[in-house]
Amino acid sequence: MKALFKNYFKKNEIINPILKSVLNVPIFNNLSKKELEEVLKLTHERHYKKDEHIFKKMAPSEGMYVIVSGDVKILDPDTGTLFASLKDDDFFGELALLDEEPRSASAIAQSPSKLIGFFRTDLLTLMERSPELGNKILLNLSRILGERLRKTNEELTTNLDN
Amino acid sequence: MEPFHKIYRLLLVLVIGGLAWNILPFLGSIIGMLVFSFLFTTIFLPGVDKMERYLKSRVVSVFLILSFTSLLSISFLGLFFSNIGSQVKLFTNRINNEDFLDNLSRLSDKIRNSLPDFISTLIPEGDNLIYMAKNTLISIFQNILSLLSSAGGFVFISFIVLIFTIILLIEYHDFKRTLVRFLPNKYLEIGLRTIYNIEQQISKYLRGQILAASSVAILSILGLFILNQFNANITLIVFIGIIAGLANLIPMVGPFFGMIPAILISLMNNIGNESAFLHQLFGIIPSPFYILDIVLMFILVQQIDNNFITPIVVGESVGLHPMAVMIVLLIGGTIIGPLGMLFAIPTAGVLKVVIGEIVFISRNSHLL
Repeated sequence: MKALFKNYFKKNEIINPILKSVLNVPIFNNLSKKELEEVLKLTHERHYKKDEHIFKKMAPSEGMYVIVSGDVKILDPDTGTLFASLKDDDFFGELALLDEEPRSASAIAQSPSKLIGFFRTDLLTLMERSPELGNKILLNLSRILGERLRKTNEELTTNLDN
Repeated sequence: MEPFHKIYRLLLVLVIGGLAWNILPFLGSIIGMLVFSFLFTTIFLPGVDKMERYLKSRVVSVFLILSFTSLLSISFLGLFFSNIGSQVKLFTNRINNEDFLDNLSRLSDKIRNSLPDFISTLIPEGDNLIYMAKNTLISIFQNILSLLSSAGGFVFISFIVLIFTIILLIEYHDFKRTLVRFLPNKYLEIGLRTIYNIEQQISKYLRGQILAASSVAILSILGLFILNQFNANITLIVFIGIIAGLANLIPMVGPFFGMIPAILISLMNNIGNESAFLHQLFGIIPSPFYILDIVLMFILVQQIDNNFITPIVVGESVGLHPMAVMIVLLIGGTIIGPLGMLFAIPTAGVLKVVIGEIVFISRNSHLL
């Protein structure tokens, strides 16, 4: 009976790797599985070769990416400064969901990578079709940006004090 | 091996091109149906998206919206044809009525007598006038019959367009995702932006045009109602107004087509009515059968639409220069006719977006 019960509920476990990656992204926090599936219907699965640009610095920005598998480095091509090396389930470019400013850095795949793209137009469509879900994502996005602003303020204050 | 490959490719392109050239005429009607379906999809998409929010089912939303629209269109067409039928019947009865014949003969004689000789010879005598009117009616009936015989084809095409629209509306977002899948990584973001801008361009234009057409229809109905207060005796004013609104969708020439039904119905209703024949606009300008009044009313409606309504509701949705609008309309009209004129502006708007993005890509290729 226990085995049967376990086997039955196994179906509800998240086995889709894309769903698993998206689940770890704070922008999609507090979303039910059904809502996540709704979001996934709007996302775009992309495959990048090693050393292929995902986007270049100063390119027009349209949205964010979630790494399902692979490695991505975020760097400033002008100075060569490496901002971050990202791996599975990490995300980047989320600021582009809100503003239309050009990309501030380049993103390059360091190995063959599978990414999920979620773009501003998708968010706008989601807000049109399912405003509650769109609002949840926007709220999460604001929370992340708020946290970052607080962190920057703290760093600035520490630097000024020193 | 390289030259052989080139020849092989050239031959392949020639064969495919030849096939496409031969198949295109057969595909023309299907492409046309798809274009109409896409336009209807663009019109209904915001409504379906909004209804989906409340019903939580896209399929039900699509069926509800399309059923309501189809029912409304069928009721309109049914009512329109039955009313036109009774109007023609009434007119035929009046023509066969002896009093009417006498009236018409007297009217014809009166006009002939009141005009100089060289013009009066151009006005047919009473009997000839009846003969002409009967012939015109017979030809109108023949035209209606030929129209009905082609109605089968129209019903079939409408049905296919409806099916295409249902599929497109249900699967729209998935179709878009599939389309995006074919974009190379390099052009992904710019491609998404272009698709979104094209959608916005068409949607804004169509919604603006529908609003403008509705306001023209309402203003025309109001204008005809006011004319009727001065004994213009124009029936079917709601239908005339709706036709004027629909004709307004074709820029520049549409408004002139819009006034034709009103003039025809005024003629049908007022022939034989002496006071209508002698009617004067503002009591000064002769306006037999209120024709000048109708023309003036429609010009007034056009002026209100062009100067107040369209700039507000359509605005600069397409953002084309008036000169460019004229040229685009002429090109559309020359290639496909009235339908070409209907599609010319949105097509030009889409091309403007695409060309803008291509220029952007060519200038910023180093960023992609």
